[in-house]
Formats: sequence, structure tokens, C-alpha cells
Amino acid sequence: MAMRDLVTGGAACAVPGSSGSANPLGALANALIGSSSKTQERLNEIPTAAIRTPENQFFPQPTDHLGALPGTEADQSLIRPNAPGSEFMRGFRSAEQGGLADVWDEIQGGVPIIPHDMRVGVDPRFPPPVDGPPQIMLSGLLHSFVDSSRGGMPFVPARLPMLGLSQGDKQCIRDRSTIMARHFFADKSEDFINTQVNALLQSLDIDGDVHAKSLAPGRFREMEDYWNESQGFMKHGPPVGDAWAAEFDQTRMNGPDAWAHSFEQQHGANGWASEFEQEHNQLATTMHQRGAVSPNLAAMEQSRMLAQTLAQNNDPKFQNSQFLRFLSKMSHGEVIFDDNRLKPAPGDWATEFQQQHNAGPSWADEYLHRGPDHWADEFSAEREKNAPLDDQWVNEFSQLHVDDWADEFGRKLAEGALGDETKDDWANAYDEFVNEQIAAKRQSDSSRGVYVFSDMNPYVGHPNPLKEGQELFRKGLLSEAILALEAEVIKNPENSEGWRLLGITHAENDDDQQAIAAMMKAQEADPTNLEVLLALGVSHTNELEQAAALRYLYGWLHHHPKYGVLASPAMPEVFYHTDVARLFQDASQMSPEDADVHIILGVLYNLSREYDRGMESFRRALELRPNDYSLWNKLGATQANSVQSADAILAYQKALDLKPNYVRAWANMGISYANQGMYEESISYYVRALAMNPKADSVWQYLRMSLSNASRHDMLEACDSRNLDILQKEFPL
Amino acid sequence: MATQLKSDALMDQMKQHLSTDARKELTKKIGLVYQINISPKKIGFDEVVYVVDLKKGEVVKGPYEGGKPDATFSFKDDDFIKVATGKMNPQLAFMRGAMKIKGSLSAAQKFTPDIFPKPSKM
Repeated sequence: MAMRDLVTGGAACAVPGSSGSANPLGALANALIGSSSKTQERLNEIPTAAIRTPENQFFPQPTDHLGALPGTEADQSLIRPNAPGSEFMRGFRSAEQGGLADVWDEIQGGVPIIPHDMRVGVDPRFPPPVDGPPQIMLSGLLHSFVDSSRGGMPFVPARLPMLGLSQGDKQCIRDRSTIMARHFFADKSEDFINTQVNALLQSLDIDGDVHAKSLAPGRFREMEDYWNESQGFMKHGPPVGDAWAAEFDQTRMNGPDAWAHSFEQQHGANGWASEFEQEHNQLATTMHQRGAVSPNLAAMEQSRMLAQTLAQNNDPKFQNSQFLRFLSKMSHGEVIFDDNRLKPAPGDWATEFQQQHNAGPSWADEYLHRGPDHWADEFSAEREKNAPLDDQWVNEFSQLHVDDWADEFGRKLAEGALGDETKDDWANAYDEFVNEQIAAKRQSDSSRGVYVFSDMNPYVGHPNPLKEGQELFRKGLLSEAILALEAEVIKNPENSEGWRLLGITHAENDDDQQAIAAMMKAQEADPTNLEVLLALGVSHTNELEQAAALRYLYGWLHHHPKYGVLASPAMPEVFYHTDVARLFQDASQMSPEDADVHIILGVLYNLSREYDRGMESFRRALELRPNDYSLWNKLGATQANSVQSADAILAYQKALDLKPNYVRAWANMGISYANQGMYEESISYYVRALAMNPKADSVWQYLRMSLSNASRHDMLEACDSRNLDILQKEFPL
Repeated sequence: MATQLKSDALMDQMKQHLSTDARKELTKKIGLVYQINISPKKIGFDEVVYVVDLKKGEVVKGPYEGGKPDATFSFKDDDFIKVATGKMNPQLAFMRGAMKIKGSLSAAQKFTPDIFPKPSKM
């Protein structure tokens, strides 16, 4: 009988309770019950009937309790957050923090087989998310391997369903795991290492080496059966476990098909696809952390464009298609089908994918129609095609601070942290995630100084877009002006004035990222242009980029015909605020009537948060230029940032009197109301700003917060879907 | 000389914010003490510690002296800015590991972007 073998170690050792490498249970028993009193007391705290009794009852007749076990089977235990296993684990863990580690450490070469719920309510030390498609499970499993390894605990193998790993994959994983295990357990025995690795390999159904054979899955299962049975006293009875065991058996027999089938049964045909999406969120975040995936920009771009094209299709069904969402993610390099490749071939995959798409049905549809079997086959085929794992994977992986995140996440899940996590919540979070990714991609481009052009620009081909742009700007039609100016710089990339005006327009449209990108281009085309340098200084100050702001403002001085003398001939490497400020103070003394110098001083004082001085400087500048709308805005912003919101509003109003379509001032108004807690008022101002510039992402966020604070939850959906019509109707000024 | 964090600006603004009527409202609404560790580049390295005490209604630099904070957060500079200005949802931040949490979970859940005043743009 398998159980007996486990207990007695088969031929190797006849005495239960003695520990040897081939007697895991004995070792376990020994450690838990035998030697130390510490473990004894810990044992007593374990809330299961069976274990409360000492010694031999720990292993009642093997044949008896081969009933239920908390399944590690994906579809079973996952849906039961309070599965027996997790209860047990929680109880056990609460026994003594870290005591568990000690216990396990005492077990040399033993493979503790503690079942655990793979999804929710998981002990942080064993938190692999085992749901969804194989690569996530694989990732989860590997994570837990790392976790337990780091904790100095023997790995708790999760019996994962067929992952469809190719031989090549298995080989790689085996090798790498061995390397990693040796790395982690450098101080432990060879046996220990091997058993650890084998445990991992076991779950993945990889035949490691001889040792693996000694822990035949059959035996494993019975052991798990036993554990759950003991749990059965507390929670659900054997029937549940039986079902699991039965399914498990079936899976083992029938291969991936059955698994996929049963999964489908559990979740419905569509369920899989949606779960996949949801879990990919998690995976994607993990992947993002790992940084192991270096996105192939071309492929990403390709899929981004594809996604964009698809997104522009107005058919709502199409818009919501999972395929589209999947593509979006793909295009951001977050999701690469084979997650544990260091050098993914996203290019190939994306092209293939694209071809598949062009060929007809969407990915999700394909899945539904062709049935789960095919997916599994395709998946295996897919994996075999790609390049094998890179060695660096190991290094990177072990360098990860996977613990912390996994710890916390697991703990949080255990505490039901993420609220009542229904699938809806996940889906919402996922949606937000995707939206954010799309926005973030644009942002990250801009923040790297890469200008992002608008799509479908009607002004491209216009005979004189610059003039058109200037005209539109004068009229206050900022978003239109942007399009015209973009057409201009597409036509003449060296046109510094075009870029400069484009930058100014973006700033006034409340988009500092794009403003910076455009201004950088302007500076490239004309490095001595003072307005450009000033604008760059202001935008960077807004973005709290102190060093850069100082550099540009210093540059302004440096290139100034009159004040250049104050600056040293060579450009310093590092800029200290006090030094730069002093230089401008000197300049101001040289020419007290120069508004620009006062303006820059105002900006500098904002940077150092010396708001009173800043206000004074701007006031002086305003005396010299009373009709400069942007100056009024600057004054207002300074006041607002030093929490003089009421005064700020007056300044903004002045700015808006001078320039009614000044999006930034509208947004700032909203901010000032919101900061004073006047949320209802702030909403109208935000909406007005957004009506003029629907692309102002940060303002959308502010609007959402104000809606929420004003308890206008009815309008949140309109906000999330960026429905300006409704919002404008509801919140007029 | 320690590099200036972007978050310093936000924290200063918060400090000032708490010297207005907002203080009463926040302390009543939340009434918890948060410690926030902000690192310039990588979480856990060169941390600058702030305590946003919404019990007393003040912001103090340095670890919390009055006992144990209700929740402690760890961020990278850029990420804290994103979360505080609402550009990144705290749940998302947590899931991606951009935000670490220690301490009481329910306390942590009350730490939402709308606590912080928003910066105005020149």
C-alpha cells in the first residue's frame, strides 16, 4: 500500500517515526510529534480532531481515510475560498509564527505534503495562484517554490493539472529548478535539494530523476487524501474530496483534454476565456515586476496599432471582445504567451496572431467554437515552437523580491483584503488596468520625450498648417490648433516655431507631458530659443522634476544676450537651487523692469516651495504685464499650492476672463474647489475643462474623485465611459 | 546631500492642507495614523519616512514616535505621486507591487488618493 510505504519508507526503513530520506512521513511525524516539546505543543494547537491525539493516531490505518482532500486541482478548490485546506493552513500557521519553518527545517529530505487551497485564503508561504491557464499556474507554482525555498522550507508540491509542457520545457524547468534549488539550499544536503526539486517537478509532472520515482503521484494523492480526510471532520465531508480525487484520477488518465473539459464544465464555455483574462491581470502584474520580458517594440507597436484599429471599430460587441483586450495587453508587452521566456519571440507570435485574426474568428470565438481540446493542443504546440528558456531566467528569478509581494498579496487575500472579491471586481480592476495601460503607454512615451501624434489628423496635407495652427490658437481652439500644428511639424520637422507653439498649446491644454515632448523638439531645432527654455522650465516644475527644471532655467540665463554674463561660460553639471535663484536675483537687479526675470523667479520659488516669494515675483511681473493670462494662472497656481485656494480662484478667474478657453485654468479651478472640499462645484469646472480637452487624463481622474466625494455615484459610470454629453448636461456651469 | 523627492512637494502641500479646515474633516473621517516610506528609485532603499497623522491632523517627517502606525506604506517616489494624484488606483498599485502595505488592512483601505490635496499647474 502506498501509504504504508510512505510511512515506513518502503524497504529502506521499517520503523515509523525514524527519519530517513526515503521516509518522508516518518520524518514528518518525528518532527511534528516526536522530539521537541515545541512541536508537541504546536501540534496540540492544530484544530483537527485526528491530530490532537498523540503519536500513532497521526497515521491511522492508511486504508481508511483516503477520502477527500482539498484539491489542488484547478477547478475544484479554487472556487471554494474556505476549503478545508486553507482552514487548516490558517490554523496551523497561527499556531506559531515561524514555528512552521522550524518544524519543516527539521525534516531533512522529507517531503511534507500539505494540501492547500490554491487560490484564496492561502497561507502566505504557500500562495501559488493556481487558476486559469497553465502559464499562470506555472508561474504561481514557481513562485511558491521560490517562496518556500526562501523560507527555508521544503517545497509543498501542488498537483497541477496537465500544463501541456513540452519535453524541451520540462528539461529546461528541471535544469533550472535544480540550479535554483542548489542556490537556495546551498547549506542543506544533496538529498534535500533533490527532493525539493523533485517536488516541484512532480507537480509539473516532469520526471526529474530517480528520486522522483519514489514519490509516485499515486502515493502523493493518497497522502493528500488522508490530510483532507482529517480535515473532513471540521468542514466538508469526504464527498467533496472524493469528487476531487475522482476527477484528479480522470485527469491523469485522460490528459489535457479532460482537464480542459472539466474546467469548461465548471466555468462555462466563456468562463475560461474570461478567467484567463482576469488571471492575466495578475500574471501581467507579476511579469511586469519581473521585468524579465523585454518587449519587442516593433511587435508591440504592431499589436498596438492593431488594437487601436480594432478599438476604433464602433461595434460595441467588438469593442468589448476579449480578443481586443487581450491584444491591448499584448501590445504593451505585458502579456506574452510564454511567460517564462526571457527572450520571447513576440514578433513571431504577434504576426502569427495577427494572421490568425485576419483569418477570421476572434481568439475567444475560436476557443468557444473549436472547443477546449484544441486550445490545449494548440497551446502545447505553441510552447514547443518557441525558444527554450534562458539561463538568465534563474538569476533574475532569484533576484526577485517575490516574497514580499507574494507574502502581502497572499496575506491580503487571506484576510479577504480585496473586498468581497467577486469576479466583477476582478473584471473591473482588469478593465481599469487595461485603460491604464493604454494611457500609460502614451504617458511613458511622452515622459521619455517622445511626442505622441494624434491619429486621423484632418490637417495633414493642408497647404499652410502653421498659419492655420496659429489662427486656431488665437481663437482659443486649442485641440484643433494642436492638430494643425502637428500637421505642420510632420511636414517640417525642423520647424522650431511649429514645435514651440505646439508645446505651448499642450501646456495650455493641461498636458505637460506632451508639452515637454514638443518643446524638446523645438529645442533641438533651435537650442537658444529663450521662450522654449522657459516653457521647459515651467513644465518640468509642474512635473516636480527639480533637476531638469533648474537646468532649463539656467539655460535661459546662459543664452540670454544680456544676462549671459552672469552665468559661467561652461555649463555646470549639477545645479543647485540657491545658486540659480541668486543668479536670477542678480539679473533682476540688473533690469527690474524685465518681466521675464520675475516670472522665472516665480517659477523658481515654486520649485523650492517658497510660495510667498513666488507670489511676490508673479505680482511684480503682472504689474508689468497685466494682460498676460498665463501669468495670472501662474499666480493662481502658486497661491493654490500654498493652500490659499480662495485667492487662487480669483486669479484663475482673471486668467479665464482674458482667455476663455484656457483649459489649464479651468482644471486648476476645479482643483482649488476640490481642495477646499467643495466637490460639487469642482465637478462643473472639471467637466468644462474636459469638454474642451477630452484627452486630459489627469482631469478625468480628478473628476472621478470629486464625483465620488460628492456622492454622485450615479455619474461614475458616465465618467468611466468618458461620456461628456451626459456629464455636461448634468453639471452645467 | 539627499536628493529631493518629488513626494516632498506633495507632503508639504498635505501639511499645509491640514492647517486648514480640511484637518477637522479628515481627522473625523479617517482618524488613523499612516507611515509612508518613500524611496527615490527602489522600494526599501534610501527611504524617506513620513508620518501622515490623521488622528492629530499633521504631517511629520521621520518614523512615528507615538507608538505603532495603523498602517505603513512603502512606495517608490514616482509611484507615490501617481497614487496620491489619482493617476494610479491603490488596488492596482498594490497588485503590481508598487505599493507595499504593513499593518491593519482596514486602515490601509482608507488610504485613498482623495485624502491628498491636488497640485495646481502653472
